[in-house]
Amino acid sequence: MSEFTDNELIELFRNADMKHYAFNLLVRKYQEKIYFFVRRLVIDHDDADDVVQNIFIKIYKNLDSFREDSKLFTWLYRIAVNESLSFLKNKRIHCYLSLASPEAMMMKALQEDTHYDGTEIQKRLREAIVKLPKKQQLVFNMRYYDDLSYAEISDILGTSVGALKASYHIAVKKIEASVTAN
Amino acid sequence: MKINQSIQEQNPENETLPPILIELRPGADGINTPDGYFDSLGSRIVDGIANRKGASFLSVAFPSVSKPLLWVPTLAAVVAVVLLVFVLPEKKAAEIPAVDEWTEIRMAFDASYAEEVLLSESHAVDKEIENMDLSYIQSATYTGKNEPTQDEISEYLKDLEIEPDILNEH
Repeated sequence: MSEFTDNELIELFRNADMKHYAFNLLVRKYQEKIYFFVRRLVIDHDDADDVVQNIFIKIYKNLDSFREDSKLFTWLYRIAVNESLSFLKNKRIHCYLSLASPEAMMMKALQEDTHYDGTEIQKRLREAIVKLPKKQQLVFNMRYYDDLSYAEISDILGTSVGALKASYHIAVKKIEASVTAN
Repeated sequence: MKINQSIQEQNPENETLPPILIELRPGADGINTPDGYFDSLGSRIVDGIANRKGASFLSVAFPSVSKPLLWVPTLAAVVAVVLLVFVLPEKKAAEIPAVDEWTEIRMAFDASYAEEVLLSESHAVDKEIENMDLSYIQSATYTGKNEPTQDEISEYLKDLEIEPDILNEH
């Protein structure tokens, strides 16, 4: 499955006869990374499923015009970030229309998440992350869970490495305080 | 994710994480998915692409349809041009009063002024008729061509259920 490099997958995708095959390989290669990245942001499995499908449909539509200025996986992450934030923005608007607080809505989603079986301390960690501002959440998740380097995160988010380090540091401090509070 | 690696190895950029976060370092963070989710995700994505291809013929044929920020102002501009060119001038022409607003007001309050205005207007109309080229009337001659025949007239009257004898009355 992963014997194909990203460049080989792009080449295959650009060959009309191999397009679907290449796309299938690409989905299999990145589906879990993208899913868990999105899921940590949007919390609910069904929401994550919708967002992930939209992300891959966008990738399918735009891969032909991918210019290879950046690495394929940073491009995928960029699409994932944009789609997730756009989903959360729409959800936020729905929250305001229904006069509910978006944070309360997210916490409710966390508590009602049926596809979650973490320990008590893992739940506290999850709640602490959800309470962070979106930018800090993104940086923390990419660094802590996905092991991306600051250079890669900088490429994805278009933010300087220095600013990212500061965001991560603040996020870690807040999370530590929140998780160890009880 | 290499769970057993030391934090130093996982963090080449030398961050120090608090012990609680080292302890919770991912591997299994409690998030899971329905059984077989990733086995079917690829095929559902491909189905989604196929469905969208069918549904979005309009947006493929006219790419800007899916971008209201582009087509709404364009549509508004087209409507405005149509209104300006075709609808409003006709309406304007129909609504132009014979005299201007202030003259109308003065006419309403001053009968003699009104009479004067109307007289001068009719005088202007007379002058216009005088100046018209009516020579074509003098040059027109009656040729008798295309006159209906007696039979045609009778038939026409019959259609109207009028007795043809009426012609004899004149």
